[in-house]
Amino acid sequence: MTIVIIGLLLVLLALFGAPLFVILGTIALLSFHSLDIDTAAVIVELYRIANAPTLLAIPLFTFAGYLMAESRTPKRLVNLSNALFGWMPGGLAIVALMTCAFFTAFTGASGVTIVALGGLLYPVLRKEGYPEKFSLGLLTSSGSLGLLFPPSLPIILYGFVANISIDKLFLAGIVPGTLLVVLLSLFSVRKGISAGIPRTTFKWRNAIKALRETAWELPLPFIIIGGIYTGVFTATEAAAVTAFYVLIIEVFVYRDLKLFSDVPKIMRESMLLVGGILVILGTAMGLTNYLIDAQIPMRILNAMQGFVSSKVLFLIMLNIFLLIVGCLMDIFSAIIVVVPLIAPIAAQFGIDPIHLGIIFLTNLEIGYSTPPVGLNLFISSFRFEKPVVKLYTAALPFLAILIVALLIITYVPELSLWLVNIVGGQ
Amino acid sequence: MKCFKYTDLALEKLENILVIIILTLMITMAFLQVILRNFFSNSIMWGDIFLRHLVLWIGFLGASLATREGKHINIDVLSRLLSPRFKRISGIIVNLFSSVVCFFLMRASIGFIIMEKESGTTLLSGIPTWTAQIIIAIGFGIMMFRFFVRALDLVAGDEATSQEDAK
Repeated sequence: MTIVIIGLLLVLLALFGAPLFVILGTIALLSFHSLDIDTAAVIVELYRIANAPTLLAIPLFTFAGYLMAESRTPKRLVNLSNALFGWMPGGLAIVALMTCAFFTAFTGASGVTIVALGGLLYPVLRKEGYPEKFSLGLLTSSGSLGLLFPPSLPIILYGFVANISIDKLFLAGIVPGTLLVVLLSLFSVRKGISAGIPRTTFKWRNAIKALRETAWELPLPFIIIGGIYTGVFTATEAAAVTAFYVLIIEVFVYRDLKLFSDVPKIMRESMLLVGGILVILGTAMGLTNYLIDAQIPMRILNAMQGFVSSKVLFLIMLNIFLLIVGCLMDIFSAIIVVVPLIAPIAAQFGIDPIHLGIIFLTNLEIGYSTPPVGLNLFISSFRFEKPVVKLYTAALPFLAILIVALLIITYVPELSLWLVNIVGGQ
Repeated sequence: MKCFKYTDLALEKLENILVIIILTLMITMAFLQVILRNFFSNSIMWGDIFLRHLVLWIGFLGASLATREGKHINIDVLSRLLSPRFKRISGIIVNLFSSVVCFFLMRASIGFIIMEKESGTTLLSGIPTWTAQIIIAIGFGIMMFRFFVRALDLVAGDEATSQEDAK
């Protein structure tokens, strides 16, 4: 009885905005206390943060992403994709999709994309004649697009929490991530035609000029993917190279940022997010251990087996459950809290752990722009100064497309595993 | 109240400097390790352990700064629906609660650090492990302090507006 009351109180506190690490910390402290174990054990678990080599990637990639967001990289990327894709019907919308995807991969879907790129793209989209609703929906749902591409932070965190290879997850996300971009692009082409948007002509001169401007940024994805693919470096090492490289080009090559005024400020800003993630991860460590010790996942599984008999049915339920989680929680805490519960159950149903990772991340990506409480909707509402309700309706058609993509990704595991198997088979 | 504000600001300055030093060290060192490993098949032996503890430090410094700016990750669905007055009341409760939990986490950390100190483990050549772990207790301590200050702030703000209402 007391457990139920405490649980309800904690849920209430969480819903009223208590930091998630406080809630997790309370549960960890109470559960160890109830077993008569010294609460220092909670910190023993938390200290495991300092024993995990992969976590180094989190501050390094986050810093690199924030640097790019503060520099003129977004502008250069928009120029480039405009020069390359602007001639297509719906060209500008595709430009928005591509740059947002690239950007989210580097900034880890923390809302930075909408803030950094949305302000840049929204006025241009409107000027070209794209309807308000379409433009808003596009930018809102693009705010988390690209989450499946390396080196996105959620992938790294997922690999760490689920204890599977981050390098493999990076490869697994590429095809499904591309599928999302392609489907949304097709929708944009249709919109471009139906709204009668004038098309620009392709000019080699512009394309070459834009390519030259981004000559230092474009190699980045290739360095990361190529480096990992050829086994030259691990995800963590890729993070080290990226952070160093981005710092050098933004400060010394492009000179967008000043070393002694801008960079320290960005360092501080980016570490706020890193601290927020790591402290949740730390307090959740003790809790996760407790859940596994108490065999909670197995109990849930036993309870489920009565009515969930097949893999397909399980996947449907998983999708619905994760969509709800995705629109209530931000992606980082969702991974930290939910993955340890779901992973052992999914394994019992014979779902490949890497495929599960991709299903999980795609769901959360969609959850970001799912009404009523998807985070992107609020960020957009704040950024574009529109009422949230307007964004609900604007996001709906995009949501429908993303859900179709989600179903394909969920029921065609080959999409996620194909690249992994090719590289693994080498 | 004023001396709380002053302490908070002084702490923030110190934290800012530490974050910048540690992150710079981290980027340089991590990059150096990649170069050494790939081109010289060598690496600094204590480098990886050192880097991992830098992650711990930057995590707690970042978390404590996030507390100062109210930027912790939370779910916060309901307080959007509240009127400003009730929002403030729920803010006071949430911050007080967070402060108390941070106190217990700090106490647990101190227990952990004392245990480590007694066992006499060392990290690198001769540096006791507990000196690297002390940031956990300090971090939770500062967060406890900041949540408390925030709660006090909200109480003070509450009185100010109700006085305005009375006028």
